[in-house]
Amino acid sequence: MTAAPAAGPVDAAPAGGGRRRVTFPVTGMSCAACASRIQRQLRATPGVREASVNFGTTKATVELDGARPRDVMQAVREAGYDVGTDTLTVAVADLRSALDTSRLEHAIREVRGVLAAVANPAAESVRVTYVPGFLDPRDLEEAVAAAGYVLAVPVAESDPVERERLVREREVRDLTRKLVLAALVAVGAMVASMPLMAAASVGPADLLARVLMPLDGALRRALPWLYAADPQSLKLALFVATVPVMAWSGRGFYVSAWRGFQHRSADMNTLIGVGTAAAMLYSTVATFAPGVFTGAGLPADVYYEAVSAIIALILLGRLLESRAKGRTSEAMRRLLGLAPRTARALRDGAEVEIAAAAVVVGDIVLVRPGEKIPVDGVVRGGRTAVDESMLTGEPVPVAKGPGDEVVGATLNTTGAITVEATRVGRDTALAQIVRLVEAAQGSRAPVQGLADRIAGVFVPLVIAVAIAAFVVWFDVGPSPAFVYATVVLVSVLIIACPCAMGLATPTAIMVGTGRGAEQGVLAKGGSALEAASAIDVMVLDKTGTVTEGRPAVTDVLVALEVVDRMAAGTPADGEAAVLQLAAAVERLSEHPLAAAIVGAAAERGLVLPEATGFRAHEGRGATATIGGHAVAVGSATFLIDLGVDVGPFTDAVDGLAAQARTPVLVAVDGVPAGLIGLADPIKASAVAAVRAFKAMGLEVVMVTGDIRKVAIAVAGEVGIDEVESGMLPAGKVAVVKRLQAAGKRVAMVGDGINDAPALATADVGLAIGTGTDVAVEAADIALMSGDLTTAVTALELARRTMRTIRQNLFWAFAYNVVGIPIAAGLLYPLAGVLLSPVFASAAMAFSSVFVVTNSLRLRRFRPSVAR
Amino acid sequence: MTISKAVVTVAGLVAVAWVLWYFLATPRPARSRGERP
Repeated sequence: MTAAPAAGPVDAAPAGGGRRRVTFPVTGMSCAACASRIQRQLRATPGVREASVNFGTTKATVELDGARPRDVMQAVREAGYDVGTDTLTVAVADLRSALDTSRLEHAIREVRGVLAAVANPAAESVRVTYVPGFLDPRDLEEAVAAAGYVLAVPVAESDPVERERLVREREVRDLTRKLVLAALVAVGAMVASMPLMAAASVGPADLLARVLMPLDGALRRALPWLYAADPQSLKLALFVATVPVMAWSGRGFYVSAWRGFQHRSADMNTLIGVGTAAAMLYSTVATFAPGVFTGAGLPADVYYEAVSAIIALILLGRLLESRAKGRTSEAMRRLLGLAPRTARALRDGAEVEIAAAAVVVGDIVLVRPGEKIPVDGVVRGGRTAVDESMLTGEPVPVAKGPGDEVVGATLNTTGAITVEATRVGRDTALAQIVRLVEAAQGSRAPVQGLADRIAGVFVPLVIAVAIAAFVVWFDVGPSPAFVYATVVLVSVLIIACPCAMGLATPTAIMVGTGRGAEQGVLAKGGSALEAASAIDVMVLDKTGTVTEGRPAVTDVLVALEVVDRMAAGTPADGEAAVLQLAAAVERLSEHPLAAAIVGAAAERGLVLPEATGFRAHEGRGATATIGGHAVAVGSATFLIDLGVDVGPFTDAVDGLAAQARTPVLVAVDGVPAGLIGLADPIKASAVAAVRAFKAMGLEVVMVTGDIRKVAIAVAGEVGIDEVESGMLPAGKVAVVKRLQAAGKRVAMVGDGINDAPALATADVGLAIGTGTDVAVEAADIALMSGDLTTAVTALELARRTMRTIRQNLFWAFAYNVVGIPIAAGLLYPLAGVLLSPVFASAAMAFSSVFVVTNSLRLRRFRPSVAR
Repeated sequence: MTISKAVVTVAGLVAVAWVLWYFLATPRPARSRGERP
């Protein structure tokens, strides 16, 4: 039977022991100050290592180190907000015949992150209320199994973007209803106020009154009965109509303002709350106890229309803002939309179509031409070309055959293949990218800290200014002083909303990182973009960054007599002998040049003898013993250090280097036996990228472990003037540090393996051409394709994003700097103009909408270098 | 009227001082300042 939805334990056990990052929705936030308040409360919670709350995404990310989800939710509630919950309906097989479902409900309620569970035997489903981010679907599956039931369909983590869209839709619907009521009452109140205003005391100085006065005559003809009505009855009717607007449409402002007040923090809700409440209080007293004013010689005017209009306009701003925020997560939606929903798997020898989420590791799935590959895996049969542009941005399909890895959501173009699933669900490359983008979008740029600090101080100052303006108007203003003073107080409070300041940074970061992901640029967060926007020097690694990183053997030179003496005439070909010896040693090395030599030997079908006593000399060469002979393979300096006389090959070494080919010498028993030349083709994109870097005003430096002559030849071809050659990984770090010591901000592009220390040292590290692995974790910005121009795109995007943030902050501040004095009545002595509270609220709403719209322009960002 | 002006001025100044003190000057309790225990 269906049990009542009782609140279950949010967590039965501590959060899995180790540290976990969890992102969950927070409800009730209305401004940036709310975000910092929740953040403070979360950081003060024991067991929470790090917390960041983003007002733009209305999400909180916490790193848990011992704290349970319950503690986190408690902290959010203590700050005066709540954690967003969601519901999920899971289908359970054979639930119809179950006599007692309470055991199942209880088991599900014990799952971490679940708040309530209600079984519906008729529908064979259980409705689960949970906190998104905390719930691991696998725990839910296990709990159902432990209770003795079987899930009819596996619980894939329900689509987070879809969920967000639904939340957003609900918010938009709610705001729309509240806005409609406020707007109807506001318009009605304005019309009904006309007869009252015609006799009002704040006359032609008020901008709004000036606008409306010409309407007075028309209205007088259209609605003569309104003018005939008793003013006191009109005031009563306006009061009755305004109360629901405050109590329902504007309720959120007052609740938030009060919560903030209790926590000694003031935000835009404080301003709106105090402002409208002051207008309402004044009007109510004027309606029910007009004697208080008339007795003091003041007119008993009412400002009900201002209360409704202010609430309506601010709700309109919120509504537009909410809809715009929904569009900022479009990039994520597009990313997630890339994944196919179904897969054709081989189960018990038969081909069955199942949900992509139901594929498990080890499953064999069939992918036909034109279909998307459902999961990450390894090709087991068939040959094809796969369009990986979604991952790398590169439009040319990549050939794949048995043994090659394929990535989920990429497009199979030409042939049918069978794929063995190696990573599914949350582990796939696409899921990782989505998580990375989600985290980056929610991250805070350092510039945000400044905006937050200012906003925190700003609101109390505005309240102080408003009170001061009230006093000044009351003391030295025109008569009736109390009326003018009240109008000014309300206007200042209403116009000075710091909302635009709160939105300036997060919206730009969100749109910028989202657009970057579409262009193959994965920024790890706002701080990465901020750092990348301000660099002076671009340090490029040669191998894998400027060049393809796939060197190939181009020349083999032989000192024949040595080979003859050693191999006794077999194999007959001296070149093959040199390659064979070198490959036998290098087979044990991990250097890219070693791989090229081994590859060349394999191409010629050479059988490699066994090498013993292998030693790698990092970045220089390797030694081993083959058939009793000491064989050394490496650079000329390495062999000279070993005491080998490389004299016979000196000219050949120089000749190869001048052609940008890397010479590798082979010595047997201390005598030079041969010389292998390797060339690493320069990337087609490198020349354009270097030109673009220079056009951006950057100093470009190439670092490489290769010898000077090769480095200079490569640098010359792509147009780099500054070269640091012969660098070991530590040397690259030293180059970066030296540039930094000279006061320069350094970006480094590398392929992420041997460059990792330098990438970490640089102000911004960009890992190139690595879509999935550790490099994404290590660098600040991951470039999904190997194309060097994506590094240009990354810098351009960073600059555009920061420019947008600066524009937003400038606008938000400038607007207040201009708006507050006008609202305080500074123009009145000069031009006789006073701002009405209604105009003030319209201006405020516009400033927020402007900021969000300006951020959305980033969606149109296009890289300048065409790929 | 002069008396009421004086009253409003004094009350206003007190209110300004109180607002600034309440929101800015008072040190927040350590718990809510974000320092980790």
